[in-house]
Amino acid sequence: MNKLLNVVHAVPRQFVRDYAFKSDLKIKWVRPEKISCIKPEKSGDLAKLPPLNPNEILPEYKDSKELANADETVKSMFMLSNNRNHLTTRYYRDQMVKEVQRHEQDYGSMEAKLAKMTAVIRRYQSHMEVHPRDKMIKVQLKELIDKRKKFLKYLRRWDYPRFEWILEKLDLVYKPPPAHFHWVTRKESLQKLTDIYCEKIKEERLEAYHKELQAQQIPFLEDAIKKMLFVRKEQIDCDVPVTVTEQQIEDARKELAELKELRDAAAAATQKQSDETFH
Amino acid sequence: MAARGLLLMGQCMPCIKHNASKIRIRRMELDKNLNMYFKKDTFYFAHDPQKLCKTGDVVLIRELPERMTRLITHSVEKVVYPLGDITDPITGKKVVVGKYREDIEMANQLFGKSDKAFDYEKAPPRGRLEGTKDFTHGETYIKYHEDGTEQPFAV
Repeated sequence: MNKLLNVVHAVPRQFVRDYAFKSDLKIKWVRPEKISCIKPEKSGDLAKLPPLNPNEILPEYKDSKELANADETVKSMFMLSNNRNHLTTRYYRDQMVKEVQRHEQDYGSMEAKLAKMTAVIRRYQSHMEVHPRDKMIKVQLKELIDKRKKFLKYLRRWDYPRFEWILEKLDLVYKPPPAHFHWVTRKESLQKLTDIYCEKIKEERLEAYHKELQAQQIPFLEDAIKKMLFVRKEQIDCDVPVTVTEQQIEDARKELAELKELRDAAAAATQKQSDETFH
Repeated sequence: MAARGLLLMGQCMPCIKHNASKIRIRRMELDKNLNMYFKKDTFYFAHDPQKLCKTGDVVLIRELPERMTRLITHSVEKVVYPLGDITDPITGKKVVVGKYREDIEMANQLFGKSDKAFDYEKAPPRGRLEGTKDFTHGETYIKYHEDGTEQPFAV
């Protein structure tokens, strides 16, 4: 029985269990924290809504002469901050649309629509910060964000200059969706990280080998010139056919000079760079 | 492959290779069982040192006499349709969806164009927001690792 076992051990194993394989590389995987889809960093909003002026009057009564002459209590009743919430949202929305609209009556063009949505999204986002359990607003907000993303996708396809302009104007970030969906798992992430690690090692070693070869270039050429000169001289002295021409030696010398020049320039550049970083 | 110099038309895809663009050629393939056509994509890498084509452009590529590298087999001939900057081939006017840009402009003038509105003349060429606000020039991926560095293409 013992003999049999020895034979089994002597034969190289054909099937290696790899499904429970644990890498001994020092790779630490940190699962990225889940960011809610309604958060500005996910929705792509870089800016927030400007703070509301506490004395802002309802837009409909802004030019009213009677209100301008009325006393403080009446005035306060017509302030945005003392009125219903959706009026403030509407005020922000109109402000934002006015920044991008084509003409006074334009509320339906793509850029106006995007501005409207952006204003509402930012308003809802600030609402969600204060009331994180408001599910109705959360759903509406998510749907709006998705819709805005879809509209941005369309606008990009239709009219690229306008798309870029609106991104800048509304301070948005557009990232196309990834090609394939997958859940983030430990195994797959570790596989990817290992691949990156291996790739890095490969590149480092190639770079090191490249440097090593480069370092050999100048001594090799110097040696070659010396040997060629010697061989030529010997051939002439011994009256045998000359195989090494003047041209060949001259070429080698030229190559050496060029190489030295290149190396000096590279060294000077690195020196300059290191000086700059030092200062 | 050598002397054919085959011309192909395809769409430019995001590509991380320098001096090359990844072109998607989309053909329809007949499934004989279902008697239906299905999309079939083939990808070619085209030599493009000046980066003529950007993601989404429809371009013409020509087969090289011999492959340049292991991947690069074609070269970009010309950009036929830049993405989102379409010219009507019959009239030669610029088009947005179903309207000419001129007509849109005329309507804006009639209604009294706003000063803040977008103007095509002032618009710089595409690509100034790459890497800051517009991330369509590269492939995005689902973020799988937190390493403390900035990952602009992670979603």
